[in-house]
Amino acid sequence: MAASILRASGLVKQVHSTEGTLTILDDIALDIAAGAQLAVVGESGSGKTTLLGILAGLDLPTAGDVWLDGERITILDEEQRARVRARCVGFVFQSFQLIDSLTALENVMLPLELRGDGDAGAGAREFLGRVGLAARTSHYPRQLSGGEQQRVAIARAFASRPKVLFADEPTGNLDTATGGRIADLLFALNREAGTTLVLVTHDAALASRCGATLALAGGRQVDAEDAGMEAAS
Amino acid sequence: MTPALALRFAARDWRAGELRLLLAALLLAVGAVSAISLFVDRLQRALVAESTSFLAADRVIDSSRPIPEEFRAKAAAEGLATADVLTFPSMVGAGERRSRLASVKAVSAGYPLRGVLRRASAPFTTGEVTRELPQPGEAWLDSRLFPSLDVAVGDTVAVGHLELAVAAVIASEPDRGGSFFEFAPRLLMRAEDVPATGVVQPGSRIGYRLLLAGDSDGLAALREGIAEELAPNYRWRNIRDANETIDRALGRAESFLLLGGLLAVLLAGIAVALGAHRYARRHYDHVAVLKTLGATPGEVQWGYIGVLFVIGGGGALLGLALGAVVHLGIIAALGSYLPVSLPLPGPRPVLVGLATGFICLLAFALPPLLALKKISPMRVIRRDVGAGVAPTVSYGFATAGSLGLLVWYSGDVFLTVWALLGAVVAGGTFAVLALLLLRGGRVVGMQAGSTWRLALAGLQRRYRENVAQIMIFGLAIMLLLVMLLVRTGLIDEWRAQIPENTPNHFVMNVAPDEADAVAALLQSRVDHGGELFPMIRGRITAVNDTPSKEWRRQVRAAGGPERGGPGIRGERNLTFAETLPANNVVVAGEWWAETPAAPAISLEEEYAAGNGLSVGDTLAFDIGGLPLVATVANLRRVEWDSLQPNFFIVFSPGALDGYPATYMTSFFLDAADKAFLNELLSAHPTITVIEVDAIIAQVRSIIDRVTQAVELVLYLVLAAGALVLLASIQSSRDQRLKEHALLRALGGSRRLIGGALASEFAVLGLFAGVVAVIGAEVTVWALNTQVFELAATLHPLLWAVGPAFGMALIALVGWLGTRQLVSSPPAAVLRQV
Repeated sequence: MAASILRASGLVKQVHSTEGTLTILDDIALDIAAGAQLAVVGESGSGKTTLLGILAGLDLPTAGDVWLDGERITILDEEQRARVRARCVGFVFQSFQLIDSLTALENVMLPLELRGDGDAGAGAREFLGRVGLAARTSHYPRQLSGGEQQRVAIARAFASRPKVLFADEPTGNLDTATGGRIADLLFALNREAGTTLVLVTHDAALASRCGATLALAGGRQVDAEDAGMEAAS
Repeated sequence: MTPALALRFAARDWRAGELRLLLAALLLAVGAVSAISLFVDRLQRALVAESTSFLAADRVIDSSRPIPEEFRAKAAAEGLATADVLTFPSMVGAGERRSRLASVKAVSAGYPLRGVLRRASAPFTTGEVTRELPQPGEAWLDSRLFPSLDVAVGDTVAVGHLELAVAAVIASEPDRGGSFFEFAPRLLMRAEDVPATGVVQPGSRIGYRLLLAGDSDGLAALREGIAEELAPNYRWRNIRDANETIDRALGRAESFLLLGGLLAVLLAGIAVALGAHRYARRHYDHVAVLKTLGATPGEVQWGYIGVLFVIGGGGALLGLALGAVVHLGIIAALGSYLPVSLPLPGPRPVLVGLATGFICLLAFALPPLLALKKISPMRVIRRDVGAGVAPTVSYGFATAGSLGLLVWYSGDVFLTVWALLGAVVAGGTFAVLALLLLRGGRVVGMQAGSTWRLALAGLQRRYRENVAQIMIFGLAIMLLLVMLLVRTGLIDEWRAQIPENTPNHFVMNVAPDEADAVAALLQSRVDHGGELFPMIRGRITAVNDTPSKEWRRQVRAAGGPERGGPGIRGERNLTFAETLPANNVVVAGEWWAETPAAPAISLEEEYAAGNGLSVGDTLAFDIGGLPLVATVANLRRVEWDSLQPNFFIVFSPGALDGYPATYMTSFFLDAADKAFLNELLSAHPTITVIEVDAIIAQVRSIIDRVTQAVELVLYLVLAAGALVLLASIQSSRDQRLKEHALLRALGGSRRLIGGALASEFAVLGLFAGVVAVIGAEVTVWALNTQVFELAATLHPLLWAVGPAFGMALIALVGWLGTRQLVSSPPAAVLRQV
């Protein structure tokens, strides 16, 4: 088995409000090998998205630790976590999260520019070509359809050649046919690049395409059936 | 993030239109401030240059003693130009025929150092500007000396032992206005000729003046160099000392222009802050995405600081260019009203403009942009993860920035502290008021139709933002109202000082047997009421039965006023009056309601104070050898520069009946009708005519120019205010549109949404107008009483106009700003915002 690239133990996330303390995640542990694919499943409010944010270093847990590419990111500050993200993390979001004021090409160039790549333009063009949008480089997000926007987001995610790709409901905003094509593209690029994939979804079919599944209910790890998911075939 | 990347980001933001509002705000901030500064700087230089002509010099040393040679030597060493002026009263004779008392002015070569002389070849004509002076042995005479001496150009006149050839008529001299009532007509001659006249004897009343002109450093150095020698016998004067009316007008105009500049800076700052807030808010998601892509908080921060500097640099330079163009436009527009050539500006306006740009950015735009680094990357998956800097930090920054900017810009801590204090108090009051109004509005709205209910509910829902917006609108409208009120007050006051058709000629020494003839002549030919005032010469012989000499000794022994000021023993012009003269205010005692049984008198307050007199004292007079006793009934404050006849001592009606009187009157004479004076003086050679028309014209021209500058500044402040309104509406547009697009998607008609938006803006404008009026009244009261020394008044009209104006203005600007998006499909709106 390949070396572990993403490991978490004893993850707890609580938020405090006037109505008391709310536990969103409770004692989550996982260990993903490089190149593996993990689907995180569960109903709305089960804590999937919170877990994704913590695993990717976007947020900090109340307790527990996360190791990403050998770094214990839960003891790093925001500045250091950003560097880890720049080095080895890519994202695909449900709402695409493209920057409206930038063209498709510029959106894909962003991570490369942030890393200081000399030739961000060429790299970005290559990936836009691979998602089938070579002809749309100078279009703005609002001029693209939902599927096209998500393809730009995928190109952006892979352009920086991340070790781990986090995808949050990548097909959630798309119709079934488009969603299917986007999922195909995502898995194809993933295989090609040997990227580790962490996929948050409540779509059982999509989850079934991953090698492993982590099911959440009320912030706790449960069996897939208990999470209200159909068993992976 | 490298500078190159920051530049690239700035370029992309620019292309996407994200930075336009910010740049426009900055451009206008720098543009308005530098245009005002440039214009004011040049106008001030011109005004100073113009007003120095009242002195015929930049500075004057005045004395009743000869000017020491040492002063001239030191002035020359400082590179200053000098000229000597001697003035003394002297009888001027024309052969055996006639002689008249004239005010002789003897000048050295070089006079006048500032301003110009006008010389005419015939009396009572306007003449031409000349750089020449009478030659030694020559004299130029005032027009009115020609008829009263019965001479013509080419004749000779005698001053003391010296015969002088009458070479020309002196039509005007720049420093004539030293005092408005220099009774005697002028004779201008050369200083070199004075010894030969033999009139300069020990004890003769001669005024010595050394005129000085040159750069301010040289003048300051000279003053310092001779400080010890000056006191106490030599007076150092500048234009401010020479004429109180002009001094006050200039002083207030400076304050006003300054105030205008300050308000423009404040308004521009608010616009910049709003632009930056909107820019920052639109970048929340942008930053969150950048962070997920690995941008560190430091990179985000420096990236946006980089963008800010790119914009700041560009905005400041473009703004300066805009300011230069605008100020040239202003000069071109005012064209003929302005002095022929304005002096070139100093470097200060450019520095002021540039610094304004950067300080505006740092104080107003930096805080919201710095807050961007705190945006959590979690925002990409959870939209509700908010961001933002604590408002106190932001406001603290802006307050500190404004304070620094204002103090530096105005150099006037007093005015700045007032302005800022006003802003802080207004801000607090506005917030409370706005909240109350919004709450009240919601209650009223429950009963209203759906459009209004929607509008008021919208206002109540986002009450924090709306309180802030009412504050901003209110502040902007308040500042505009303040400018308008203060300007109107100032200009009215100036105009009132010298109304149209103010008498510009005074006739004195009219003998009783001539009075009817003079009155008839005046009435038939000029704008004259036909009224002649008795003027009786008399002096005080005793106060409360103490002889006046002894009284004076007692007053001085008791630590009373030093020498100087009109004394108690001198002969005075006395008059009587039934009603309190215009421009006079009773400060002690009471004006006689009806003719008192025993003679009563009214004294000018400073004259009374200087001589230890108060209400109730009994004064004994000697009037042409006849005694008269009267009691002091009241004290008056007199406005000496009102250009009206004023008297130290006024009797009750009837008290002076039967005493030997001469008469005086005043009338208005148009410049074109000056020849009438010739006729008047030929018919009545013994009367004295005093011309103050040239002085009035000079004062009025300065006041007119100052007024124009003041109005101009008002327009610039209005433009800055409009920008703030626009920026504020722009910055809240996204939020409003999103809500209303949702409503439209839910089936709200375009009319309902458009109506709700317009109503919302109208209500905001109404509330803002209400708070603005309150704020304006308080501020104007403070400014008028503390800075401009005007009387405080309420402005009832404002209470109707202010809220209506606010309502109309905000509804209009809001409608213009949102109408395009209201009519586009909701999906497009939702996607855009």
